[in-house]
Amino acid sequence: MYLYDTIRRSLRSLLSAKSRTILTAFAIAVGTFALTLTLGASNGASNYANIIIKDNFDPTELIVSNDNTLFKSPDKIKPQVYDQSFSSVVSQAGAAKQVKVLSDNDMERIRQIPGVESVRPAISLNLQYITRDGQKKYVGTMQEFSSYKEPDLLAGTIPKNIPNHSLIIPEGFLEPLGFTNAQNAINKVVRVAVQKQVNQTAIISSILKGDVSSLKPNADNSNNSIEEQFKVIAVTKKPSTLVQPGTELYLYGNNSDVVRLNDYTTQNSLDYHKYLLAYVKVINGTNITTLNDAQAKIKKAGYSAQSVIDTEKTLTQVITVLQGIVMVFGLIAVVASVFGVVNTMYISVLQRTREIGLMKALGMHKRDINKLFLFEAALIGLFGGLLGSLTAVTLGTLLNPWISKKLSLGNISLLDFRLDQIIGLILMLVIIAVVAGLLPARKASKLEPIEALRIE
Amino acid sequence: MIKISKLTKIYGKNNNTFTALADVSFEVGAKSTVSIMGKSGSGKSTLMHIMSGLDHPTSGTVVIDGVNISKISPRAMDNFRATRMSFIFQAFFVEANQTCYQNVMLPLEIARVSLAKRKRLVAEALEAVELDSKANDLAANLSGGQKQRLAIARAIVNKPSILFADEPTGNLDSSTGDKIMNLLFGLNEKLGCILVIVTHDAELAKRCQTQIILKDGMVESINTKNKKKES
Repeated sequence: MYLYDTIRRSLRSLLSAKSRTILTAFAIAVGTFALTLTLGASNGASNYANIIIKDNFDPTELIVSNDNTLFKSPDKIKPQVYDQSFSSVVSQAGAAKQVKVLSDNDMERIRQIPGVESVRPAISLNLQYITRDGQKKYVGTMQEFSSYKEPDLLAGTIPKNIPNHSLIIPEGFLEPLGFTNAQNAINKVVRVAVQKQVNQTAIISSILKGDVSSLKPNADNSNNSIEEQFKVIAVTKKPSTLVQPGTELYLYGNNSDVVRLNDYTTQNSLDYHKYLLAYVKVINGTNITTLNDAQAKIKKAGYSAQSVIDTEKTLTQVITVLQGIVMVFGLIAVVASVFGVVNTMYISVLQRTREIGLMKALGMHKRDINKLFLFEAALIGLFGGLLGSLTAVTLGTLLNPWISKKLSLGNISLLDFRLDQIIGLILMLVIIAVVAGLLPARKASKLEPIEALRIE
Repeated sequence: MIKISKLTKIYGKNNNTFTALADVSFEVGAKSTVSIMGKSGSGKSTLMHIMSGLDHPTSGTVVIDGVNISKISPRAMDNFRATRMSFIFQAFFVEANQTCYQNVMLPLEIARVSLAKRKRLVAEALEAVELDSKANDLAANLSGGQKQRLAIARAIVNKPSILFADEPTGNLDSSTGDKIMNLLFGLNEKLGCILVIVTHDAELAKRCQTQIILKDGMVESINTKNKKKES
C-alpha cells in the first residue's frame, strides 16, 4: 500500500469514530495546552530578564564586592562578629549585619588585576532633597550615569561626557518640580542638597566632654548639608522594565558630581571612601571567555564577582522553578493521555478485527497493517497537539495585553510563543502517540486473517 | 490451473490432534468453476484457506499456475493474493461507513495500482454489478443483495485469476441468491477466472463444472460435468 493510501485510510478510520478520536485528542490537548503556555511564559520571562539586563547592566562589566553574602544567601543564619574594618551596621529585612566593604586600596588592587580595564564605585547617593524655586522639596536618589544605558528620552540629549552640575531627571519628577512638560524642563536649574551622615564618634566624644552645644541642630542644617545647583539636560521616560520598584525615580549625574557629593555625606564617617559594590569593566568583556577569566582572577584575589550571566540566572531562578512545576503537571497530563491513546488504539483494533482480516486476505502486508495503526496513533497525537497548542496560543495572544497592563510590563508580552518550539512540541507528541500505538499496531499486524474473519 | 496434491492439515500437537484434511488431491482447470461441499466440520473452509494461501498445509502442495504457494515467503504470498486472487464471504465484509467507491478501491490500494488506473477499474467493477449509480452512497445504506454485489465488485476489481466464494448466498433470500450466482457465473465466463465456491447449497453446486464433496477431511467424491469419479 502506498504511504498516502495508508495515511488516508488512517484518517478515514479516525473520522468514522469522531467522538472517540476527539476525546482522546482532547486528553493530549490538555497536556499540550499547559506545556505551550509554559514555553510561552518561559520565553516571555526570559525576554523580560534580558531586557532588564540590557537596560540596566553593561555586559562587559562585573559587579564586585568584598563580601560574598551580598550575592548569595548564607547557608546558616547566625550572629555576626563585629569587625571595625567593616562598614556601618545595616539592617534591612532581618537581623542587623555588617558588610565588608571595598576600600580605595581594594579598588586599586582590583584595577591592577590583568584583564581589568577600569573600576568605578557603585554609589547610590541619598539626596536630602531636590527642589526648584517655588516648589516643594522632594527626597531622591542620585547615581552616576553609565554610558552603557540607553534610556528613552522625552526631551534633551545625553552627551558622552556629561558636564559637571548637569542632571538627568526621570519623568516622574516633572510635575512635582513644576514643569509643564519634558521640554519645559530642559536647561532649567534645580537645587540638590545632601546632608552629612551622623558621626557617632563625634557625638559620643562631645557628650563625654560635656560640651553638647556643637550638637545643637541648626534650623536649616546649614552646618551639615550643602545645596548645589544643577541644570536639567535630559528627561527620561519611565522604563518598561525595572530591576526593583523605585528605581524609575533615580536621578543621574556625572561621576565627578556623584563622587564629590558622596564624599561630602560620608566625610568623617565609617563609610568614607568605602563602597559596597564596584563596577569592573573588563578588557574585551563581550567575549564570554575573557569575562569569565577576569571574574576568576578577581575571585582568586579574594573578592566576590558577579557577571551579567550570574545576574540573569538570579533573576530567572524563581521563574524557572515555577515553570518547572507547571511543566511537570503538563508532562503528567501528556503521560496520562498516552494511556488514552493505547486504550483507543486497542479498541480500534478490536472493532476492526474483520477489516484487518479482510485486508490481510486481500494481500496487505503485516508491515502495512502496522503502519496503518501507527499513523492513526500519530494523527491522534497531531490533532491533540494542534488543538492544545492553538488554544493556548489563541488564549495567550488574547490575554497578553491584559497581563502586560496588570503587571505594568509596557510593550512586553509575558507569553511569547515561538513557532519552532510549538512545532517541536507537536512533533514530540506525535512521537509519544506513535510509541503508545506500537503495541496495538503490533497486535493488529499479528492477527491471523482466518481467525479475524471468523469474528462475528 | 490449480493442482492440489496429497494435502493434509492436522491441528494440535502430540496426542491432542485433529485431522481437518487428509490426503486431498484434485486439479482445477483454467477458467473452470468448482464447488466444494460437505457438512460442517468436513474441512471445506480449511481447504479453501489452504488453496488461497491463508493457511498452511501440514503436508502436501498447492500449485497455482506452476507456483507452489506452500513454499513461497509470506510477503510473496501476500503479493500473489493481492494480484491473482480474490474473495467473497457470506457476511459480505463491506465497510459500512465507507462509500461503495471506497470499498471497491481497497484491493487496488493493497496491490499498489497506480492512481490513474484506479478510477477506471472501480467504475468498471461497479458497472459490472450494476452499482455504478451508487458509487458515492455509504455501504451501510445498501440492502443485503446490494452489499454482496458490492463485495463481488471489490473481488473482481483487480481482475483476479481465482475467485474464492465462501457461502456467497448464505445470508441472502433465494431470489437474491439466484441473482448473485447468475452474476458470479456470468463474471466467470466474462473474466475467465477460476471460480471456487464453498457451499452447502446442492443446487448451486450443480451449476459448477466440478463438484468436490468432502467428508471428515477426505474427498468423498469429485464430479465433473458428464463424468463421475468415486474416491
